[in-house]
Amino acid sequence: MSSRSGAAIGIWRARNVRTVGDRGFLIYMVLMVALVTVAPLARAVWLSAASEEGVALFASPAAPGVTMLIVAGLWSGGLLLGRDRGPALHPPFLTHALAASDLPRSDTFRGPVLRAGVLVTTMTTLVAGLVAGSLVHHGLSEPLSGAVFTAAGAMVGVITTVAWLVGQAFPRAAMPVALGVLALGVTTAAIPLMQPFTPWGWVGLAYPGSGTSHIVVALAALTASLAAVVPVLMNRLDLTALAVQSARWDAAAAHTTGMDFNMAAALYQGRPHRGRGTRAIRPRNRLAWTFLIRDAVGSTRTPGRLIVGVAALAASGVLITLAFAPATPGWLLGAAAGLIVFAGIGPLSDGIRHAASVAGDFPLYGISDEHLLANHALFPLAVVVLVLLAAVIVCSILTGIAVAAPLASAFVLGLLTLVARVSNALKGPLPPVLLTPIPTPMGDLSAAVRMTWALDGLLLAALAGASAALAFEVPLLFIGVAVTLITVGINRWRHRG
Amino acid sequence: MIEVDEVGVNAGDVTLLAPISTSVPRGEALIVRGRNGTGKSTLLRVLAGARKPSSGMVRIGGLGVVERDGGFRRRVAAMIGLPPMASDLTVFDHVLLVATTWTDDSTAAAELTRDVLAELGLDALDERFPHELSSGQTQLFGLALVLARPFEVLILDEPEQRLDPEHVESVIRVLRARRDDGATLVVATHSPLLADGVADRTLWLDAVA
Repeated sequence: MSSRSGAAIGIWRARNVRTVGDRGFLIYMVLMVALVTVAPLARAVWLSAASEEGVALFASPAAPGVTMLIVAGLWSGGLLLGRDRGPALHPPFLTHALAASDLPRSDTFRGPVLRAGVLVTTMTTLVAGLVAGSLVHHGLSEPLSGAVFTAAGAMVGVITTVAWLVGQAFPRAAMPVALGVLALGVTTAAIPLMQPFTPWGWVGLAYPGSGTSHIVVALAALTASLAAVVPVLMNRLDLTALAVQSARWDAAAAHTTGMDFNMAAALYQGRPHRGRGTRAIRPRNRLAWTFLIRDAVGSTRTPGRLIVGVAALAASGVLITLAFAPATPGWLLGAAAGLIVFAGIGPLSDGIRHAASVAGDFPLYGISDEHLLANHALFPLAVVVLVLLAAVIVCSILTGIAVAAPLASAFVLGLLTLVARVSNALKGPLPPVLLTPIPTPMGDLSAAVRMTWALDGLLLAALAGASAALAFEVPLLFIGVAVTLITVGINRWRHRG
Repeated sequence: MIEVDEVGVNAGDVTLLAPISTSVPRGEALIVRGRNGTGKSTLLRVLAGARKPSSGMVRIGGLGVVERDGGFRRRVAAMIGLPPMASDLTVFDHVLLVATTWTDDSTAAAELTRDVLAELGLDALDERFPHELSSGQTQLFGLALVLARPFEVLILDEPEQRLDPEHVESVIRVLRARRDDGATLVVATHSPLLADGVADRTLWLDAVA
C-alpha cells in the first residue's frame, strides 16, 4: 500500500478509535463466543463428519463428482455475487474518496480484497480439511492424499475470490460465464473423460483416495496465474459501479442491523429492464382479471426471478411429496418445503408488497385497500397452487407415493405460506418496544426476541410446512399454526400504516 | 369547501403546528408558506387524514376527515412525499392502472392517462420503469399518478421539489387547469413562482416555539 492511500485509510480508521476498555471487551467477547458457540459447533461438525454416516457419505463413489459440481457452483456463485457486491469495497465515503483519486485501485482496494480472500480461502480449506481428515482418520485415505486435497481446497478458495472479483470487474460478462461454468460442471461430473481437462474436474480428481492427487499441480498453476491477474482486475473496477455497490451494501447493512431484512433484501432485488413494450394493464370488466394480468406481465419483466421462484415452488412440491414416503423425516422435509415455498413466492408477490405500501399511504387507487390486496394476491395464489400441485402429482407418479395426502398438504401449505408473505409485507419497522432489555439469569433475551420478530415469516413458513406434512397425524398442530398465521396477519392489517 | 378551526398538533411537549384557522372556498387555491419547521407538511397531513390534530377540527365539504372512509378517499387526493410505485410497471402502465380503478370506461382511462402524461411532459418516457427516471421526472411521475384519479380537493406538499423552472411552469399550468375545473387546492411550497402562479389566497405559518 502506498503512503498516500495508507494515510487516507489511517485517517478514516482514526475517526473511531477504540479505547483500551473497548478493546478488552472485544477480546473478551470474541473469546466467549469462541468458547460458548464456535467450539461446541466445531466439535459437533467434526463428530458428525467422523461418524459412520459421515464417512459413508464422504467415501461414496459419487463424492468426487459431487465435489466437482460444488466447486463449479461455487465459482459460478462468485461470478454472480461480484455483479452486486464484489470483494473490493470500502464504506461509501472511503470508496468514493479513494476511487476518485489518481491512486491505482490495486493499491487502495487491496485490503478489502485480501480480507475477503482470506475469509473465503479459510472456509474452503476448512471444509476440504474436514472431509480429508475424516477419511484419513478412518484409514480410507493416505495422510499425504488428505493434505493434497486440503491444499486443493485452499486453491479453490483463491480461485473463488478471483471469480468474485471478475464478477465485480466485468458484471455484464459474469452471467454468461457463470452459466457456462455451471453447465460445464454438470457435464464434467457426468462425463469422466472431461475431468482431466477442467479445473473443477482437477479438484474432483484430487479427492482423497482417488490416486490422482498429482493433478493438483495443474490446479496450483491455474491458481498462481489467476492470482497474478488480480491487480489488473482491480485496476479495471469502475468508479460508478464501486460507488453504487458500496452505497447499497452500506444501506443493506444498516437495514440488517435494524432487523429489517425485507428492506435489506429489496435493495438487491433485480430491476426490470425488458418487456416494456408489452402492455401490462389490459382493462377488463372485472378488475380481478386486470390485476391478474398486470401481475403476470410484471413478473415476466424480471424473468430470472420468475424462473427461480417457479423452480423453488416445484422443488418444495417434490419435498412435500417425499415427506409422505415411508421411513423419511416427514416434518423435516415439510419444514424445508415451507421455507422454500416462502422463498419461491417472493418473486411472485411484488404486487402484494406494493399493495401493502399503498395501504399505508394516501389513497391512490379507486378500490379499497382490502380489494387491492386481494386482487394482488390472485397471481401468486394461482402460480403457487398450479406449480405445487403439478410437482406433487408428477413426483407421486414417479415415486409411487399415494397422491391424495401430499396433494392436500401442498395445497394448504401454499395457502398458509401466502398468508405468511402477506403478513411479512405488512410488518413495517421494528416496534420500539422490542428494544427493551429482557434480563434473565442467562443474559438479555431481547436480541433473540428481535431476531424472532425479524425472521417470523420464515419461521412460520417452516412451521406451516412441518405441520402440513403432519396434518393427518397431528391435526391440532396444523390448526394451531394456521390460526397463529391468520391472527398475526389480521393484526398487522389492522395496524397498517 | 375546507374549514380549519383552531387546528394544532403537538408531539409530547413539542409543538409541530401552532393552532391556526382558515377556510378555502370550492374552486380556490390556498398556498401554504412558511420557513422550515413551521408545520406546513403537518397541516397538510391533518387535512389528508394522515395525522389527527391535537386540538381543533377540520371539515371538508362539511364532513369530518376520515382517511379510510370511501367517500373521503374519492373526494380528497394528496401527495405528501412520493406515492408508492411498483417497480415492475412502466410509467404508462402505472398511470393507466390508477385511472382504470376509478372508472368502468377503459377508453376514457386510456385517454386520461395520455392527457396527464402529455400535460406533464412525460409522454416520451411512457415506456420507462420508475428506476429509469431522474429525480425530477420521478416527481412529475408522482404528480401524474395523483392527477390520474378524480378528486374535489387536491393536497400537495412542495410539488416543485427537484424541478427546473420550466417544469415548475408546467406544474403551474396543470394546477391552474384543475382549479379552473372546480377543484380546491391546498399547496405547500417554498417557490414564489408557484405561489404567485396558483394562489387565490396565501396562508403564512409562523415559526413555532
